[in-house]
Amino acid sequence: MAYVATRGGERAIEQSQRLFREEMGTITAARVAEIRRAMPYLIDRVMGEASLYDEDLAALALAQTGGELYEAVLLLRSWRTTQPRLAVAEPVTQDGLFTHRRISAAFKDIPGGQVLGPTLDYAHRILATEVLSDQDYRPEPVEPAARPSPAQQPSVAAWQAENDLLTAAEPDKTAGNDIPDITREPLLFPSKRAHTLQSLARAETGGVLALGYAAQRGYGQAHPTVNELRLAEGEVMVKHPRGTTFSAGRVKISQAEVVNKKGTQLELGFAATLGWNEVKVIAAATLDLNSEGAPKGSATEEEFFLYHTEGVESSGFCIHFKLPHYVTFQSSLDAMRDAKKKKAAKIPEPAE
Amino acid sequence: MGAHPTPSDFEARTNATYDALMWALSRPGLPRDLPSAGQSGIIETLIDRECAVYCEDPAMAEIAARTGAAMAPPEDADHLFLSQPPARLAGLRQGSDMYPEGGATLVIPTRFGSGRHLGLTGPGVGGQVLCRLPDIPHSFWADRARVMRYPMGFEIFLIDGAQVIGIPRTTVVEVL
Amino acid sequence: MSLKSLTKDWEPMSYGFLDASAKREIRRKTLKAIAVPGCQMPYASREVPMARGWGTGGLQISCTLINLQTTVKVIDQGADDSVNAASIRRFLSRVSGAPTTMDTLKADLIQSRHRIPEEKLREDQVLVLQVPNPEPLRPVQPNMSIARQMHADADYGRMWLQLYEQIVRSGRVMQGASYPSLVHGRFVMTPSPIPRWDVSKMHMAKHLTILSAGREKRLHAVPPYTRVEPLVFDDVPYQVEEHQDLTCARSGAKGFFMNEIPQDDGSSTYEVSDSEFGVKTIRKGDGEPVEIGATWYHAGEMTQ
Repeated sequence: MAYVATRGGERAIEQSQRLFREEMGTITAARVAEIRRAMPYLIDRVMGEASLYDEDLAALALAQTGGELYEAVLLLRSWRTTQPRLAVAEPVTQDGLFTHRRISAAFKDIPGGQVLGPTLDYAHRILATEVLSDQDYRPEPVEPAARPSPAQQPSVAAWQAENDLLTAAEPDKTAGNDIPDITREPLLFPSKRAHTLQSLARAETGGVLALGYAAQRGYGQAHPTVNELRLAEGEVMVKHPRGTTFSAGRVKISQAEVVNKKGTQLELGFAATLGWNEVKVIAAATLDLNSEGAPKGSATEEEFFLYHTEGVESSGFCIHFKLPHYVTFQSSLDAMRDAKKKKAAKIPEPAE
Repeated sequence: MGAHPTPSDFEARTNATYDALMWALSRPGLPRDLPSAGQSGIIETLIDRECAVYCEDPAMAEIAARTGAAMAPPEDADHLFLSQPPARLAGLRQGSDMYPEGGATLVIPTRFGSGRHLGLTGPGVGGQVLCRLPDIPHSFWADRARVMRYPMGFEIFLIDGAQVIGIPRTTVVEVL
Repeated sequence: MSLKSLTKDWEPMSYGFLDASAKREIRRKTLKAIAVPGCQMPYASREVPMARGWGTGGLQISCTLINLQTTVKVIDQGADDSVNAASIRRFLSRVSGAPTTMDTLKADLIQSRHRIPEEKLREDQVLVLQVPNPEPLRPVQPNMSIARQMHADADYGRMWLQLYEQIVRSGRVMQGASYPSLVHGRFVMTPSPIPRWDVSKMHMAKHLTILSAGREKRLHAVPPYTRVEPLVFDDVPYQVEEHQDLTCARSGAKGFFMNEIPQDDGSSTYEVSDSEFGVKTIRKGDGEPVEIGATWYHAGEMTQ
């Protein structure tokens, strides 16, 4: 009964999960709340990649997985699968965004001004080690500007279009339920515009960065100038079945426009995502900028970068190689050994 | 481990309906039992807002519309709930060589079990299956063979009360 | 109309995990897959509570088909007790309450990774195969859009060329598992990474096979009684693994697909890969009343 003795599978997986979870200990509502409060940028990254905007659930996913990001995103995506779609919100437009930060590298100043907003861009990256010896780190209070910058501003690309520097994209009239939804339809190529932008929005940050960086370093044809980078909040406006439109709340959004000179016009690359994640939107907009006419199989070709930056798929496939593959391996061994035998016996090759 | 979820009536019904449809199409010509008579069970099993539907019967159209499906003329519909065999097959959606799944699915009420024998061959049929469908004109099968070019084509579900027969595009139908 | 009419009563989890709209999409696509045997049907492939690449495609099919009466068997590499098979089996039972079994004869639905059981499947059984890579053309064309066009054109020239080159170089086709096969004379499909030993079991089989790749979002099917022909040249016959003469060291079963177990002394022993078949053989040897079904292979030879 040797086979039966090996049937420890069920118990083994149960215990392996206990080992993993033991390290994190008891998960409390207070812990989840603290993660949410202390790590808004991590929460944002996870929400963006999960394409699920809920800070509490994102914090819970991080608590439950001990910060294993791929696991946290998978947890949220799977939860998302089970949720009904109640309504489709009205489109959020660039000039309707409640803007916290908006900068342009293309011009010294832009209409509405360069608004730095919250950023570590110019911080000196020095660890506050004193915290470890019990000296609390207290951030300096923010001093409000004498003249607040306007909350709503048009995009820089809109100004360029007005000045005949670029051809503005035709507004897409598709509305509501007719907007293609990547979570309900397979991605096919050439990709629908909505699918491309949705895929980039939920792409894995590191993956987008790797391919976007490759394009920026010279593997892409277009050299990006950051036309506009914006961190903002968008109002989620939905229609009640009774007909009234109401705000279901605000979501944090980041978006980037990058441009490149092409002949006498600028060409535009765009990306946006849920949550504030600057690296991701700049890299994603770079890929978008480079995708038109990219050679098949290159890192800037749409099919290549959309497939390979999908974090749940790529991380899952990567770790699946841990699964036993001894049947396929056995099959390959058999072909190898037989070929070796044939070689040794010098069996004549088949007739052409 | 907690208790498992229990299937709602809707879940149980649509699960059983799909089981019948799947096996009907897998074994062309062999009738399968549906949990309920008529087309409405098939609508709730397959149709939702992702679909474009054509219904001849206004009552069915109403049921289909409630699923959120778009109503479409026969040539644009991916699912057609008909009252009798269509006179013209040439205009129906057949998909493309790239995307054969774009071909339509036809659901047609009819009677099983009398009239001349049809001989069915193709995938899902071990040897040959005989079936009798008195209300489907023989010209229908000839038209079907003429307009379809595999892998393009359309699927047919014939229903008689609470029984269904499936005829996928791969089935060769011969009037014996 | 109210907001409530748009939604549903709260439940901690849908029956079979997937919600109704996910199931309807899979139903529609599976029907088309059955209608066009071997042709890959794109589907949305929702995220499920398992990592991509770990059987999420097969799982979505099983979750759609399952009901309280479905007896489910799950295997990985032929084994019911492999950790991932145990995990999937536990999940399916947890989301559906369906009974589970290890006995191929008692199963209505078999979800498998990399094997087809040694006992013949019946006309009422569904085999769901997990597929890592649904595209047989990928070794010759990694771009999915171009590969799709090649399928549309039945343009399998490069596939044949690759096989021919292997024969010229190595004296035989070097493909191990996932042997590309022509379905109903039209579409070349991957049978999933099952050994060559198992591919012949698909040809004119009585059961329905559904192959589903969750990560790659494609599913295809082989209906019962459908031609599945491995791509071979007339003068170089199809070769299954040379396991005809091997004997299982544990059960004594002979002439079935084996796992090779390296030994300290440099030799190998073998054990039958279909673990429950091995268990049944042992129990039968011990005089227990065990039913062993008809097998596809007899004395190492395929019977049809």
